[in-house]
Amino acid sequence: MSRDRRSSSYACAAAVFTLFSVSASWAQTPGPLNAITDVPGIEVGQYTSTDATSGGGTGTTVVVSRAGAVGGVSQRGGAPGTRETDLLRPENLVEKVNAVVLSGGSAYGLAAADGVMLCLEAQGIGFPVGPNQVVPIVPSAILFDPGRCAPFSRRPDASFGLAACNAASGGPVQQGNVGAGAGARSGGSKGGLGTASTVLSNGIIVGAIVAVNSSGRTFDTEGNFYAGFLELGNEFPLAPPTGADVVPPSNLLQNTTIAVVATSARLTKAQATKVAQMADDGLARAIKPSHGVGDGDTIFVMATGTDTRDATNLVNGIGSAAADTLSRAVVHAILAAQSIHVDSCNVKSYCEQFPQKCAK
Amino acid sequence: MKASDICAVVFVALSSVASPGWAQVPGPNNAITDVPGIKVGHFTGNPLTGTTVVIAEKGGQGVAGGVSQRGGAPGTRETDLLRPENLVQIVNAITLSGGSAYGLAAASGVMQCLEGQGVGFPVGGGNVVPIVPTAILFDPGRCGAPFNYRPNFSFGLAACSAARSGPVQEGNVGAGAGAVSGGVKGGLGTASVVLDKGVIVGAIVAVNSVGATFDANGNLYAAPLELAGEFANLIPIEGGPPPHMSKPAAVPGGLLRNTTIAVVATNVELTKTQATKIAQMADDGLARAIKPTHTPYDGDTVFAVGTGRISMATLGDPAFAEYVIGSAAADVLSRAVVHAILSAESTPCEKSYCDLFPNACRNRKKGAQK
Repeated sequence: MSRDRRSSSYACAAAVFTLFSVSASWAQTPGPLNAITDVPGIEVGQYTSTDATSGGGTGTTVVVSRAGAVGGVSQRGGAPGTRETDLLRPENLVEKVNAVVLSGGSAYGLAAADGVMLCLEAQGIGFPVGPNQVVPIVPSAILFDPGRCAPFSRRPDASFGLAACNAASGGPVQQGNVGAGAGARSGGSKGGLGTASTVLSNGIIVGAIVAVNSSGRTFDTEGNFYAGFLELGNEFPLAPPTGADVVPPSNLLQNTTIAVVATSARLTKAQATKVAQMADDGLARAIKPSHGVGDGDTIFVMATGTDTRDATNLVNGIGSAAADTLSRAVVHAILAAQSIHVDSCNVKSYCEQFPQKCAK
Repeated sequence: MKASDICAVVFVALSSVASPGWAQVPGPNNAITDVPGIKVGHFTGNPLTGTTVVIAEKGGQGVAGGVSQRGGAPGTRETDLLRPENLVQIVNAITLSGGSAYGLAAASGVMQCLEGQGVGFPVGGGNVVPIVPTAILFDPGRCGAPFNYRPNFSFGLAACSAARSGPVQEGNVGAGAGAVSGGVKGGLGTASVVLDKGVIVGAIVAVNSVGATFDANGNLYAAPLELAGEFANLIPIEGGPPPHMSKPAAVPGGLLRNTTIAVVATNVELTKTQATKIAQMADDGLARAIKPTHTPYDGDTVFAVGTGRISMATLGDPAFAEYVIGSAAADVLSRAVVHAILSAESTPCEKSYCDLFPNACRNRKKGAQK
């Protein structure tokens, strides 16, 4: 935190970071890919559709756990579009989810989960209900992007989910204008898809993936990321503040940021729910405002349980790391987002607005 | 007077005390479509499974909705947006479908159908996003049907396109087509009640419950709630059940094989908060008609909508009006459950209630219209 190229405005952030470090008392480093796929057993697949003439895009991102992962959710945004969140309540029967779908397309995009279910069923993956019979458990949330630089009728359907699911794999995860983040915008800038991971000193791995499509901004009027202070290693380019080139938000009621947090810990549904609630604070720290009336912000948790130790006394540390990892994934999404300039379709990326910051 | 008749009288008397001054008679069709602004469409597959759509509108716009989701194995869409604090204040339609979670795809077809009619939440530029909360029940693979035959996009499209007011078909149709209930054939049922001051409450339900709708003697739990002879003079059973029905139906090994899903509607204008309360009270109607209910293996989900033809302000104290409407919604839903069971028809795999207890149903004409 002592790099001299930072301005004094980071002193406060540094102090806050120090407090966080003390409270968590765990060293944290990113995983090898700095992606949610650093969590063993977690795969990501994306399908992106870009309109060649208008430059507008939309798409679907699916996070798959073939072995099943204990699920939880925090749904705090005011305009959600969701599937299968009721079954995630701790008192309900089904404990494991097989995949979580994040998609553009507003409520129409919930159809993408239909394709993911068929993809998983064909592989025999799902909640067993009889001999060779499974029902894949696929919670889903959508964000609003239809009609941005593309016809309103262009939106994810079952075929998007099928393609994203068939593309799922471990390994590096593409960020920026892809999958559920393809058509995303954030506080007047181009939004996008981002991911990050954290390895705790006790060996537990936490990863996050997020499609940032927020009414609120991720940076202050000088271009400083709210979540910049959470940087691990040198994952963000953080040049000194420059002049403002802040684009006004376009429509406060048509947004939504959706995310998945995965961990190798063995959690119960109730614990996964708590981790989702704590992770949601990562959105609050990275995006301001968040959970607005027009944001359907929804955070899912998938706990794969490959780390088999009892997690009763680890939930707090996992939840805290989940929040920070999600905040960092938001910054990655904004940094990886690319401008669109096709005819009348113009939306600037953060890096176009603040080129000095992204020179690194 | 037989003991069971005394019980019925006491039950009715208690109901009357709970709703002072509010007469109760069924609407003309004794169906949820007696509520102005409500249309129903079914699509029934072969083998038996299907989708039922309830469309709700006022002046071409959606109406306020709420939900009670208390079963332990739900499959749902768009229930989060129904929470009172959330932005969208309307629903355009509610989908009930077979097919387990796969059947959630039916709602995508309903959305396309409604978008084609310009019906939905306006999002600018003349574009709409139809608001279509949905719940499913488990029926795939029953009675030798292929497990992969289940409602999809096309079922929702067809059910929505078929939606209309007027009489509603019951029994082995729509979301109730493949349903079973506590050892007998389940099905789809509907009912309505007209209260004082022009208030109408209707319900539609697909009964696919772990629990049974009748006691150890075979008498339907909700029979005492009958209005105007609608159950066709069910005859109390004295002799007890057939030997194989004398203990609770075994839960099948695969589990997750049930779920009762319903919609209640009223012509009163509701807020989302009020609709949520009505849904919660209506859910008690399931508890009274089905035992046990809301189990870990049932995804029981009850939606409520208010079509806004009558202002709550004309009904006096709003809390009291809510109380009366909620009480009526519970009773209407219980009655709809009975209609579902009485209308269900035997299949090669499941006997209907009336085929299992022919004496109870002997006053009821086969296939009689309500």
